[in-house]
Amino acid sequence: MWLLAGGAVTVWCSPAGADPAQGERVFQRCFACHSVVAGEDKLPGPNLRGVVGRRAGTQPGFRFSPVLIEAGARGLVWTRATLDAYLADPERFLPGTEMGLPGLRDAVERRNVIDYLEKSGPTLRRTP
Amino acid sequence: MRRSLLALLAALLTLPSAVWAPAASAEVAVQAYALPPGGGPHDVAVGADGIVWYTAQRTGQLGRLDPATGQVDLIPLGPAAAPHGVIIGPDAAPWVTEGGTNSIVRVDPRTREVKRWPLPEARGYVNLNTATFDKRGRIWFTGQNGVYGRLDPATGAMQVWDAPKGRGAYGIATTPDGEVYYASLAGSHIARVDLDTGAATVIEPPTKGQGARRVWSDSRGRIWVSEWNSGNVSRYDPKAKDWKTWKLPGDSPRAYAVYVDDKDKVWLSEWSANAMIRFDPETEKFEAFPSDRRGANVRQILGRPGEVWAPESGVDRLVVYRTK
Repeated sequence: MWLLAGGAVTVWCSPAGADPAQGERVFQRCFACHSVVAGEDKLPGPNLRGVVGRRAGTQPGFRFSPVLIEAGARGLVWTRATLDAYLADPERFLPGTEMGLPGLRDAVERRNVIDYLEKSGPTLRRTP
Repeated sequence: MRRSLLALLAALLTLPSAVWAPAASAEVAVQAYALPPGGGPHDVAVGADGIVWYTAQRTGQLGRLDPATGQVDLIPLGPAAAPHGVIIGPDAAPWVTEGGTNSIVRVDPRTREVKRWPLPEARGYVNLNTATFDKRGRIWFTGQNGVYGRLDPATGAMQVWDAPKGRGAYGIATTPDGEVYYASLAGSHIARVDLDTGAATVIEPPTKGQGARRVWSDSRGRIWVSEWNSGNVSRYDPKAKDWKTWKLPGDSPRAYAVYVDDKDKVWLSEWSANAMIRFDPETEKFEAFPSDRRGANVRQILGRPGEVWAPESGVDRLVVYRTK
């Protein structure tokens, strides 16, 4: 299920056992196209600093594929849950996506890399 | 378990293929072969015997298509496999840049035995991309995290070098006289590799930030480059050391893959139009062959005389453009 942008803000926190240091290692699979360094925005993929909480296809200055733009317009927001589903099998989650990652099959790797991404920049949070 | 089922299905089924008449050119016959679902065919290579090999990246397998029958066989490359590129070596075997296990892989075309040469552990994960053989029997490869390397299968000796401008090393190809060039997508350049020292010399295309993704050589050793960001196709002439650049048709083209066929016509996959493009350098005209399926997403092109093969990664098909 997608979180609708403009609706209620979701609540998340790092799950027990998540390991951002391991996540940085997993991020090597993303490194060729993505960065979490502020201002490093000339890569083939969008900068992922602060991606958790961002509406899909809206990073300023990046040319997204039509399917990402359409998904964002329909309300897709990158939460921990949607990122997990996307990273598990990008093509299944968003058919036609341009992202070349074949998918991270290991749920622990996905959890760790999402934790790493979450810690890379400001994210939406609220008190339960 | 899922992979075993897919392999079983593939072995049992002879999959149907579709043929359609292209709008662009009456002299080109187009045929599509449906593949077992879910594989996401990334790269393709056709051997002199006409057998077609492709990387089923999403399911970690190497596929084998017999175009005469449509029969597809799937060869598992291991539980962590996510193969990116495949080429046919001088030994007529498929060689794979196996990104999932960070290794170069050879599959015996007869016995299906899988042999693996892992990259040095100290290098970490390099995101292996594409490979090419030089004329000395050595395989050169790129790793998109910022490396390129060389393996001599005869001795097992492997060397890996840092790419001169960091991450981005992507497509790689050998010219008819044996020179090796690669493209850097994130680095927006091509590079020529010294076959003895391994040193890479950066060559900058005229368009800044163009996103050079793949390279191929024509019969005269000129390097053709598909530019992802700019939507151009460009040509570098190593003898004259000059460039020529053409914009692909459409408002905002994106050129992903490039291949030069036996008639020196240049084929490109263009994602905005969801089409294969054929460019004639003599007339400077483009012809478009739109896919009949939305989101075909052709990430690489390879062929043999009279055949150009394109894997439609988004719809699990291999499409051949027969030019005879």
